[in-house]
Amino acid sequence: MILAALISYPRAIVLGLLQGVSELFPVSSLGHSVILPRLLGWNIHQNDKYFVTFLVATHLATAIVLFIFFWRDWVRILKGLGRSLRDRGIDPADSDAKLGWLLVVGTIPAGLLGLLLEQKLRSAFASAQSAAIFLTLNGLLLYAAELLRRRAPLADEDDDARIARRLTWRAAVGIGTVQAIALIPGFSRSGATMGGGLVAGLSNKNAARFAFLLATPIIGAAAILKLPELFGHAGDGVRGQALIGALCSAGTAFLAVRFLMRFFETRTLTPFAIYCFSAGLACTIWFAVS
Amino acid sequence: MLRAMRNDRLLVALAVLAGIVLIVIAIVYWVEPARSLPGFFPGHEAGSGHHHAKHGIAAFVIGLGCFVFAWFRTGPKRPMTTAP
Repeated sequence: MILAALISYPRAIVLGLLQGVSELFPVSSLGHSVILPRLLGWNIHQNDKYFVTFLVATHLATAIVLFIFFWRDWVRILKGLGRSLRDRGIDPADSDAKLGWLLVVGTIPAGLLGLLLEQKLRSAFASAQSAAIFLTLNGLLLYAAELLRRRAPLADEDDDARIARRLTWRAAVGIGTVQAIALIPGFSRSGATMGGGLVAGLSNKNAARFAFLLATPIIGAAAILKLPELFGHAGDGVRGQALIGALCSAGTAFLAVRFLMRFFETRTLTPFAIYCFSAGLACTIWFAVS
Repeated sequence: MLRAMRNDRLLVALAVLAGIVLIVIAIVYWVEPARSLPGFFPGHEAGSGHHHAKHGIAAFVIGLGCFVFAWFRTGPKRPMTTAP
């Protein structure tokens, strides 16, 4: 009963809606899920078992939505991976195979760092104050990525071919590694990968596309690893709220990815940088004085 | 040319060996609790019954990566992009 009171159904809806949007917008979902409860005076702590269980469900929903959204791309990419394994090499003309291996190479460092450091970083930076400070820094990072970006030359080829051609193996490892910064609440995974893509020479649209493709296995695997907690003892009293939160998260994640893919056709990360910087700074000051 | 081929074979042999060792390590992590892990393994903790499943997954993934590397390296030599 106490658990149900901590994440009531209305709170589950709010947190689910927020998770779906903030996971894909480059604004740090973890940071928001730490800061918002504190601003609203909710007695929720990000390291509480029931809250982690709740987040598992919403993350899984986001990963499923991403997978469905890019379903056709994943089929092509997986076929490309299969072809390259069969041929024991990557045909330079096979952009699906190259993109697939870029995603594998980018996923490994982020996955390993996540497996080994997640618990420690979460415990070390669990407070809303630190999340607000890191959200401010996230804004600066996004802006820096826009400043440091290498302009992608326009070419008459499809998005995946362009990503496969522009990104080197080293760049993919680098982008995958910076993804791990999102283990610290306040820093955004999609922001880090989009920023990395821009610095590596991708356009905003292609950087966003690569970031979403790269996010799918990481978010999905992290959620699946913790799924036993949802169905085990830790999930008692929170499963209903988790289900509602997951459905809300799925809905907003779908709208968010559709919106962002169109948004980045013509726009940049700058509005998100301004938002993160100003919201993070305002929250930092608020927490310091309140 | 001959030396390059020999170096390539050595690299492949090392990758296969590393892959096997890492997958064995992964199995040890999955099967043994922290107290029974060899003292030099990260995560060894006297008296702890905790299984370091994540350490096992990390070792397994790197081991698999070693096998994939060896697989690409031993493929037919064609004008293809360098393997990851």
